[in-house]
Amino acid sequence: MAEERRFRSASGAPIALRRRQHSASCRELAVRGPRLQLRSLSAATSAVWLAAYGLFALSENSMVLSAAILITLIGLIIYLHFVKIDQESLLVIGSLGIQVTSSYASGKESTTFIEMGRVKDVVINEAIHMQKVIYYLCILLQDPEDPQGVSEVVPLFQSSKPRLDCLIEVYKSCQEILEQRKTAPQSS
Amino acid sequence: ENSPAPLPERAIYGFALFLGSWFGFILYLIWAYIPEAWLFSLGLTYWPQKYWAVALPVYLLVAVGIGYILLFGINMMSTAPLNSTHTITDNYAKKQQQKKFQEEAIPALRDIPISEVNRMFFLPEK
Repeated sequence: MAEERRFRSASGAPIALRRRQHSASCRELAVRGPRLQLRSLSAATSAVWLAAYGLFALSENSMVLSAAILITLIGLIIYLHFVKIDQESLLVIGSLGIQVTSSYASGKESTTFIEMGRVKDVVINEAIHMQKVIYYLCILLQDPEDPQGVSEVVPLFQSSKPRLDCLIEVYKSCQEILEQRKTAPQSS
Repeated sequence: ENSPAPLPERAIYGFALFLGSWFGFILYLIWAYIPEAWLFSLGLTYWPQKYWAVALPVYLLVAVGIGYILLFGINMMSTAPLNSTHTITDNYAKKQQQKKFQEEAIPALRDIPISEVNRMFFLPEK
């Protein structure tokens, strides 16, 4: 079963959270950001081309215009493939681990899997980020030998930056799965 | 012993500093404005170049302006990134001792782990 709810990101952009329950101990939470807007794309392209035309008017060198076209095309491809993240998803499988996937606008997907033995907890942390204090969801990792200490912190949803109401939904869903760890028999 | 009250010694220090700073300022004005020929005719030849009379204040003011930006930048650089454990805990919290719980007493001050804080805030008790 899947349900989708609308929220806002930290900067005010509309985002959507989709929750799917695959089984009793497996849940997928996906946060989708806004797609590349036509108006921002045209604004950026016009700015670059106007600047290039101004340079051409000053220097009478037509290479400036071709260079501007190339820069726009290559810049757009690089932006779509490496920068613009459309969807970030979290797949929590109770006995196995947590998988974090980022899907870029060009279709590229980058995935990280963390096994359950290394996961200590999923918490909402507050930290200072660029002159603001933001809430962000993060996975606390533990060393298998030292279950009391936190060895690493993996922040999630870094590019869509949901606000606290969305984070609380994701947190509750994850905690329901993680609590089953304690009641289920441990197998090392 | 360390009170901020006015004392005779402090009044004397203050007055000596006041006179000294006026003397330094008049000396600076003399050095900056009086032509070299007149100072040489008096026999005072060992002065630094007059270039420094303008350069040093400019250096100072530019340093103050850069200092604002530098301080801002240093602050931003020493803020812990989002993926560091310093946002969660630190050495004092790791080594803290767990005091025993006593009945009817105020619980001892301690650093509560973030998992516990999260459960208290975000998971409603049924």
